[in-house]
Amino acid sequence: MKPKASPIEKIQREVVVIGGGPAGLAAAIAAREAGCREVLLIERDRILGGILNQCIHDGFGLHAFKEALSGPEYADRYIRRLPGAGVEVMDNTIVLSLSAERVLEVSARGALRHIEAGAVILAMGCRERTRGAISIPGHRPAGVYTAGSAQNFINLENIMVGRKVCILGSGDIGLIMARRMTLEGARVEAVFEILPYSSGLPRNIQQCLNDYDIPLFLNTTVTEIIGKGRLEAIRVAQVDGDRVPIPETERTVPCDTLLLSVGLIPENELTVQAGVAIDPVTGGALVDDTFMTGVPGIFACGNVLHVHDLADWVSVEAEEAGRFAAAYVQDRREEPRRRTPVRAGEGVRYVLPQTVSGERDFILSLRVTAPWRDRTVVIRDGGGRTIRKKKMMRLHPAEMIRIPVKKGAGADGSPLEVSVE
Amino acid sequence: MVDQITIVRGPAVKHSYEVLIIGGGVVGCAIARELSRYRVRAALLEKEADVGMGASCRNSGVLHCGFKYAPGTLRAVLDVRGNAMMDDLCRDLKVKMKRIGKLTVALDEEDEPMLGHLKEQGDANGVPGLEVIDRDRMQRIQAGVEGYKALYSPSSAIVSPYNLTIALAENALANGVDFHLGQKVAAITRREPRWEVRTAAGDTFTADLLVNASGLFAADVCRMVGIGEYAIYPCRGEYYVLDRRLDGTLTALVYPAPKKNAPGWGTHLTPTVDGNILIGPTAEYLDDPEDFACTSDVMARLRRECQRLLPSIRQSDYIRNFAGTRAKQTPPEVGGNKDFVIEDRKDLKGFVNLVGIESPGLTSSPAIAEMVVGMVKNHLALEPDPAFNPVRPGSLDFFWELPPEEKAARIAEDPDYGEIICRCEKITKREVIDAIRNPLGARTMVSLKYRARASMGRCQGGFCIPRIVRLLRDDFGWDPEDFLKRGADSPMFVGNMRPDKGGQAHEA
Amino acid sequence: MRALSQRLPPGGLRGDDETPVIAKVEGSVCPKGEDWVRQEILNPMRTISSSVRVRGGDAPLASVRTDRPIPLARIMDVMEEIRKVTVDAPVEIGAVVLSRPAGCDTDIIVTRSVRRPS
Repeated sequence: MKPKASPIEKIQREVVVIGGGPAGLAAAIAAREAGCREVLLIERDRILGGILNQCIHDGFGLHAFKEALSGPEYADRYIRRLPGAGVEVMDNTIVLSLSAERVLEVSARGALRHIEAGAVILAMGCRERTRGAISIPGHRPAGVYTAGSAQNFINLENIMVGRKVCILGSGDIGLIMARRMTLEGARVEAVFEILPYSSGLPRNIQQCLNDYDIPLFLNTTVTEIIGKGRLEAIRVAQVDGDRVPIPETERTVPCDTLLLSVGLIPENELTVQAGVAIDPVTGGALVDDTFMTGVPGIFACGNVLHVHDLADWVSVEAEEAGRFAAAYVQDRREEPRRRTPVRAGEGVRYVLPQTVSGERDFILSLRVTAPWRDRTVVIRDGGGRTIRKKKMMRLHPAEMIRIPVKKGAGADGSPLEVSVE
Repeated sequence: MVDQITIVRGPAVKHSYEVLIIGGGVVGCAIARELSRYRVRAALLEKEADVGMGASCRNSGVLHCGFKYAPGTLRAVLDVRGNAMMDDLCRDLKVKMKRIGKLTVALDEEDEPMLGHLKEQGDANGVPGLEVIDRDRMQRIQAGVEGYKALYSPSSAIVSPYNLTIALAENALANGVDFHLGQKVAAITRREPRWEVRTAAGDTFTADLLVNASGLFAADVCRMVGIGEYAIYPCRGEYYVLDRRLDGTLTALVYPAPKKNAPGWGTHLTPTVDGNILIGPTAEYLDDPEDFACTSDVMARLRRECQRLLPSIRQSDYIRNFAGTRAKQTPPEVGGNKDFVIEDRKDLKGFVNLVGIESPGLTSSPAIAEMVVGMVKNHLALEPDPAFNPVRPGSLDFFWELPPEEKAARIAEDPDYGEIICRCEKITKREVIDAIRNPLGARTMVSLKYRARASMGRCQGGFCIPRIVRLLRDDFGWDPEDFLKRGADSPMFVGNMRPDKGGQAHEA
Repeated sequence: MRALSQRLPPGGLRGDDETPVIAKVEGSVCPKGEDWVRQEILNPMRTISSSVRVRGGDAPLASVRTDRPIPLARIMDVMEEIRKVTVDAPVEIGAVVLSRPAGCDTDIIVTRSVRRPS
């Protein structure tokens, strides 16, 4: 028998933060401390902390707390401030839809609700690129996992996914998992990296691979997955300058587990649904120097905006976004905002924010296109005048560069360009 | 570690039947369901851990209208009849089916005679509503379609082939047919006037009548009873699955006009009932009927083809590959498509034989089932069962498709509807639990995927699989060794990392 | 020549590991550098993270780590000790679940609280 239709619970909140990971936690606390009366944090899992809960290795908090903490400890520093800050939390709750008018449909055990928000802060984080998305040929056996889901299984669910492991992708997640699996008794045969360099921190190369004699093969990719039921082997080959596999170099590596650490994709389904314009390079929203997207009152921060390397900088960025969201709801003035474009020039893969107003200091975040030594990052205005320079000994695509810029940059409306010289 | 999955269902464990169906693909399950209209002791043996694991879950899901087949052939007759049966069948079984119609496109004037031929053939076969239409009408049916003219077939449709197979099986089960999963037939012996079937698991089944619906292995089963005249030539087709972002791009099926003697329809785009788009299938003859690998050359070719057909496609739209194998009766040198073999063997009393049921096997399946049951009636007096219920319980739609007020009401009644397990496809905990508790007792991750749709979205299980694992472990008491991807040979895990109270720790 | 990287600050140092006695450290970028390079070559120290089994909690594991670095060479010995540990819920962040494992000068502390199910 069909149940009678029920009216849906409708509520209002000043600021709604979507996601209770490092970005959401910091943004929510900052919004409250900036004077918002109501800040609601929505988290789909039963615990707060997001991806930090499974990142049990240390290296978090070196900047924020001057301590070397694990992910869960770092999250806890923010989680325990929530009650005192007066942040309202809805856990086990997922946002099903978000409109440009900032109305959210959320689903939780026992309730479907519509929430009208004064401002929304997007902090949904990332998902991992999959095997299907990179089209590895071969069979589709059990034993092929993204590195993050293997990390979830081992650290949160007490499950070992395999015994003889190969890893594709030498970013930090792949490296961390090489060590993690080894510590728990698996044999990690090798890490394969398609690029000529690793995108992981040098410290992780040492402490996750070299310490355990796990070889790293650069310029190499997986060309085939073999095994009808459970993985039996992979074929790997070196790649040429265009990253195309060289057939003569193909060899077979027996293994029962393949972990894929092949990229993170900002989780912007809700963002797109709300009509927010996305930067095709970052995969996240286009934002201004208040972290507001193109849709009024919708802000974004953390990995959903652009993939970060350090949780500490996620927190800093999110605190800014929280403060600006608070200002937005308290101010309520809808004045036209100057949006001077900031462009990625020579050697720069992307810049953020993608527009500035010239009215405030801001931190320019950027990533370079290739590893270099002894270069200068230069910010020029539309007339070619240098606004800011930063000399750097070491530049790497895997390390986000953050440069403070004084207000006034972009005030005349002519586009700024950031390049590596 | 689970070595063999044997699930026996039915009022009592029994191994003696009147009719034994070998093979749980869409055809075998359709036959089972048709038989279940009658009071008959019948069972189906399936070697995999679930029904539909062979060709039935690995195809485009198209219900063909029937113009492609020579009049009077079984393919022509059964396809047209099967197609016509699908509205009632899918409604009763709660299977999503969409009659979106098809445009078979003549790209230039050269192809036009083929359209005429197909229309004539279709008319002769009794295909309803066929029309050759011009470019304007083509564009109104499918925006942006290129071509000179097209044959429009309004009765062409799409369906989820694995959902149809599962639904047929569940309804047959509910109406009294036993399903034995994980039972591979190893030997068949004549014990006049009956049959004795021994399975690899060491079980013995006896029957008055055997129905060979074993698809890719039809010729192997034939040889077990001494029929040597058939051979199956596996022909693999590879596919890409495209993101649901592209849902709505295709409002009708669009196929190029076929070339003579081609092994199949050729590579094309097919929308699915769930909003994805498939590109494929290709065609490659192989030795191994179960080599479902995807190959880099073919994948690259499919991507190039996709780029041409859908210029707006992005790299991130390719979310998955899969492959299936056609049970062809002719080798590559001969090519073409032979007609279905559906025969009540005269030389072997009580052996109904189906060989070479490739396309349009899905569409024809309910009509094939009628024909086969007609043959069964030659041997057994079949009395209709008044308790037969053609309707399968459950909902046609996923929970997320309901209107918000109805969702709110159901959530209030059953909190498990409020908990989302599969974020990409918005599948709720209640739906996942219902899928776990499926009547057939299928318990692999793929079985769960096909029933609940969880993990079929763009993150391919990255979010939901850990949650499903946690659910199965905490609420259903599963151990890590119990998680199988597709069957006994595809364990997902090697064990606990730290020992559990009863279980063993993973050994280094 | 092995290029070493230092944890604080992120960057690189160059050290010579061909001689057992370090004659000279070149190109160090921070004051900590020279001592750290010596340590890293002669007796590298590491922190490790792992998990312990929790009974009766709302999660099967509590993540743990060493609160002080241990010698690289002793990591597997310490891991063997950690594997033997099972604790009962509740456990709080910071709790010591194992003291001086394998004789190393460190404690194994909990890094994520595990409560009893509500």
